[in-house]
Amino acid sequence: MKPAIHVASLRKTFKGRDGATHTVLKNLDLEVGVGEFLCILGPSGCGKSTLLNVLAGLDKVYEGRASVSSGRIGYLFQEPRLLPWLTAEGNLDFALASCRVPTERWDQLKSRYLAMTGLSDYRTYYPHQISGGMAQRLALVRALCVEPGILLMDEPFSGLDEITARRIRTDLLTIWEETRKTIVFVTHNAYEACFLADRILVMSGGAFQQEMPVPIARPRSYDDSAVFELSRDVIKAFGDGMGREPAPVAVPKPHSNLVDDLDRHTAARMNL
Amino acid sequence: MLKVVSLVVAVIVWGLLSLTLPPEIFPGPLETAKVLWGEIAGGRVETDVAMTMLRVVGGLVLALLLGVPIGVLMGLNRRAEAVLDVWVMIGLTVPSLCYAIMAFMWFGLNEGAAIIAIAVTAAPSITINIWEGVKNVDTKLVAMARIFEASRPVIVRRVLLPQIYPYVMASARFGLGIIWKITVLVELIGRPNGVGFKLFYWYQLADMRQVLAWTLLFTIIMLLIELVILKPIERRIFAWRPEVAV
Ligand SMILES: Nc1ncnc2c1ncn2[C@@H]1O[C@H](COP(=O)(O)OP(=O)(O)OP(=O)(O)O)[C@@H](O)[C@H]1O
Ligand SMILES: [Mg+2]
Repeated sequence: MKPAIHVASLRKTFKGRDGATHTVLKNLDLEVGVGEFLCILGPSGCGKSTLLNVLAGLDKVYEGRASVSSGRIGYLFQEPRLLPWLTAEGNLDFALASCRVPTERWDQLKSRYLAMTGLSDYRTYYPHQISGGMAQRLALVRALCVEPGILLMDEPFSGLDEITARRIRTDLLTIWEETRKTIVFVTHNAYEACFLADRILVMSGGAFQQEMPVPIARPRSYDDSAVFELSRDVIKAFGDGMGREPAPVAVPKPHSNLVDDLDRHTAARMNL
Repeated sequence: MLKVVSLVVAVIVWGLLSLTLPPEIFPGPLETAKVLWGEIAGGRVETDVAMTMLRVVGGLVLALLLGVPIGVLMGLNRRAEAVLDVWVMIGLTVPSLCYAIMAFMWFGLNEGAAIIAIAVTAAPSITINIWEGVKNVDTKLVAMARIFEASRPVIVRRVLLPQIYPYVMASARFGLGIIWKITVLVELIGRPNGVGFKLFYWYQLADMRQVLAWTLLFTIIMLLIELVILKPIERRIFAWRPEVAV
């Protein structure tokens, strides 16, 4: 079957202020199957948002190939990007109207996703009247409302408290299992990636360092020890990937402690 | 409430100050109000006020028609910005009296020339404001709208314009402030009626009671426009904005 997303030798450079060019994406190759849930895990500044912008078609200046199968793309930006002069519901209506979703379906779609994110009582609130995490959830509702076939998500839960984030992650999986959207989910959180994904790509310095399948059966439970074990391996792999950059001064230690230190080190870097 | 208090205080201060000079030179508020009432009751204000209003509104509309598109163009297009910003500065520097003289010399002593002079004086400030506004447009919201498959007209109408409205509103506001002042000047040098003409007329007769009465009339009309027209419009358009407490 044709992949939903196909990227070959993708290079993206930015001109710096001094006129020097920075290569932010270095020859990326990527294939995402239809209905796959892919997580991209990488430290801040490694080029994750840049990649999503290319996939979403917002950024058209790049070298190489990037094709996305036809159909609606949903993109949950790193920031909520709500229209401040519209209420919560107004923002949803804007998206539904722009995407030409038939009006008779609006109510059902809005109610469903507002309930899922716990925002049902906030329809008439303006963005400045809700909290940052609520704004992020509202942006999620907006992205889901228009029922995209491919959903790009850029650290959607990083601003939420752990309890809420957990609940929404579980809900997201339920929706995904029902609708089998193709999802590309960017995060710094290894545990989240292991819980959600079919496959994890570890990215650093503008390149994919490692690919890790997630062989955990679905439906998954958030406290499954398999998720925990795997997240440890992922963090370790992540550390190996980071090893290509100037490594921190290695202090000789008994072998048994090495892994733990590495974990702590990368965990700190990864904002876990 | 504070506004009312400050107005009352101002009137009292005016009253006290006027006691220091003879009433022919500095009449107090009561005296002035009486003269003004006499003028209004005698039916001697309508024509002049109407003519002044006509010029103010005409000038404002024309100034917006000139200033907003140029400002938008400068905000959107770097080359236009590079070429025009010098001209906007020049336009801003030339005294309004020069525009008025040029307009009357070139287009004759008529209403059109007056309105052109008024509009050209106010347009550069409006342009600067709109230019700033367009540069501040949040392009991330435009990207968001594009993701939701919004068409160009929809993006312009529902994403760009709402971000520029506050600047248009502010422009209209202070454009009006500038325009009131120029209109009076233009009327003084080239029109046979209007509030400015009346002020100059009474000045030549050295009648300070009338001069202050007309100034008062003018101020009251301006306040009414602000309170009855502009404020409510603003409140309606920007109902979504948070109250700013500094
Ligand atoms: N418009 C731009 N102009 C110049 N450089 C840019 C631009 N956008 C991004 N970059 C650079 O590209 C690199 C990657 O940025 P990107 O936003 O993709 O990182 P990220 O992986 O999403 O990080 P984070 O996890 O913090 O969101 C950064 O070094 C950044 O400075
Ligand atoms: Mg990012």
